[in-house]
Amino acid sequence: MTVLKKMLLAVGLCAAAFFTASTIASAQETDQVGRQAYIDSIKGKRVIFVPISQGFDLNQAWVAVWQRHAARYGFKLEVRDPNGDTNAGIRAMQGAIAEKPDLIIVQNPDVQTYARLLKQAQQAGIKVLQVNMQSATQTDSYVGNDWIEMGKLEMTELAKSCTGPKAPSHKVVWLAGVQTGAANIFMRTGIDEILKQYPELQLVSDQPADYSSEKARQITETVLQQHPDLCGIMGIWDNAEVGAGAAVAAAGKQDQVTIVTNGAGSDTGCQSIKNGLLDVIYNFNAPIQGEIAAQQISELLQHPDRQAGSEKTIFFGPITRVDKTNASGRNCWKLDELK
Amino acid sequence: MVSGSKSAGTTNGGTPKRHFKLSQEAVVVGISVLLFLIFSVALNNFLSEGNIIALLKNVSILGTLAVGMGFVVVGRGIDLTMVAVMVVGVAFSIWISSWGIDFTLAVLIGAVLVAMIGLFTGIMIAFADIPPIFATLAIASSVYGSGRIVFASDVLYAPNNVAWLKWIGSGAVFGIPASVIIFGAVTAIMGLFLRKTRFGRLVYATGDNPSAARNMGLPTRPIIVTQYVISALIAFTAGLIMTGLVTGINTRLYNSSLIYDVLLVVVLSGIGLSGGQGGVRNVVVGTILVGILTNGMTILNFSYTSQNLIKSIILLSALAIDAIINPRDEQTSQSGDI
Repeated sequence: MTVLKKMLLAVGLCAAAFFTASTIASAQETDQVGRQAYIDSIKGKRVIFVPISQGFDLNQAWVAVWQRHAARYGFKLEVRDPNGDTNAGIRAMQGAIAEKPDLIIVQNPDVQTYARLLKQAQQAGIKVLQVNMQSATQTDSYVGNDWIEMGKLEMTELAKSCTGPKAPSHKVVWLAGVQTGAANIFMRTGIDEILKQYPELQLVSDQPADYSSEKARQITETVLQQHPDLCGIMGIWDNAEVGAGAAVAAAGKQDQVTIVTNGAGSDTGCQSIKNGLLDVIYNFNAPIQGEIAAQQISELLQHPDRQAGSEKTIFFGPITRVDKTNASGRNCWKLDELK
Repeated sequence: MVSGSKSAGTTNGGTPKRHFKLSQEAVVVGISVLLFLIFSVALNNFLSEGNIIALLKNVSILGTLAVGMGFVVVGRGIDLTMVAVMVVGVAFSIWISSWGIDFTLAVLIGAVLVAMIGLFTGIMIAFADIPPIFATLAIASSVYGSGRIVFASDVLYAPNNVAWLKWIGSGAVFGIPASVIIFGAVTAIMGLFLRKTRFGRLVYATGDNPSAARNMGLPTRPIIVTQYVISALIAFTAGLIMTGLVTGINTRLYNSSLIYDVLLVVVLSGIGLSGGQGGVRNVVVGTILVGILTNGMTILNFSYTSQNLIKSIILLSALAIDAIINPRDEQTSQSGDI
């Protein structure tokens, strides 16, 4: 009897063991290696994004991409929009640090404003990802434009049109955004490098349009009166340089003046190229930037054991030259298509 | 009773005692002429026809807004909602036109919305007795905030097949750009309205002494409400000029210093914030001074910071010269003077 009992028990145990083993085996066969660990490490984490303003096309593209990512893998993304107000931005950053999320994403209004706050966040053990606009403080990660390269690309574009024998003149204009902005300072560094290479280029006006199309139009209109033979204009944001394009069009000089700028690659920029207001946009494709940043979000969340600020990485996103020939398809995204 | 001609000119003969005095308007004209002469001599092409037209075109939006603001300030009010109303009104029109509504109709609907906002502002000030500076500050913020919620983006582009909008942007009559013509038309209509109509004189009366005006039986409250409706519509007109010029509108303009520039033009040129003084001529003079300054400094390629610095110094000195020439005393200062 007892032998029978023991045998039955043994058989039962064997069966149970076999069953368990087979489920483990099948799980190993059907689940991607590391997927569960990935999901476990990301699920329920909190990410706070402090932008400059969510009114910009690039911000909307990033957040659309991240929200999709967050919904799929179960982390929480909160956007604290200071709407272009630096003081509100500082408060949003302080609030975010106090709440101790797993990750803070920040788009810096300039190099100094958040520099100390970012240090504090790192000291408090919060990982920080900076997007597109860098601070003087380097943190865990920066994903965004290589602004010096952007300045070089745009001025090289003007050098092509404005140094050859067919050039109407060697006169070029730099319409900055705001002079203290990180992007402006770095682009200027790039511009100066190219100007050294082409000493014949003449920078006849160097004034910030404050990211306003009307201000860009006013400056361009006045400069065109002074320099009717102007050859090229370069700027920092397609939505502002349409104003420069309007002034050039009003003067009937679209064939003479080349207008180069950069932008997030939204469809409105492509429309401006088609309408003849802009010639070339160096497109930094905000949705792709967003995807790269999403990869960084995942990476930073997957390594909670890694100390904040212990490893610092930088990734410069792609830049595509868009003109009349390729202002279509992927180079011209619409927000609804990203969602 | 009505002191509209007090600073608007000494030639009207109404106040012979002030005859020898230099008004603030005259100071501003003097500075403008001086700057104009200096720039004409020192800068190539400053005096060219093209540059003068560009100069006027560049201040047409500021000037149009200043006419609306001047109109409200004459009635002892202040309208800080103008820039918010301008950007949100036009953005609203563009937004609804994106549903397939004809753009012209969309603009008319936008104008109705804007007039309603003006009406609301006016009622808050005239009937709820909220001081205009606070009422308009709060309403400006709510108008812009509502726009931020409704519109996905800061920048909205108008459809590019609207003939009249294109004309505003690049049309001209006898070489004068459409934007300058619209500014001129708004100025002329407002000038005639203030000087020649009974309503206009009532605005001066209300601004000069609201209590006296009311005690006399003037309909001060409806007058105040009408002022804000008109200033909102003028702001909307300025927005349409901007949309025509640059093919779209950036609602972020609300966050710029534009509203203070408008106020500066108004106060600088001699329309006192205490109301009842000045007229559209002052606004034109102030606008042209700002235009000459900005144009000259842009040609000189001054940096943004130094442009702002020089602009403030010149504008401050205009106010200082006026304060020295026309010192305030018990008789000239009024209650409500800020």
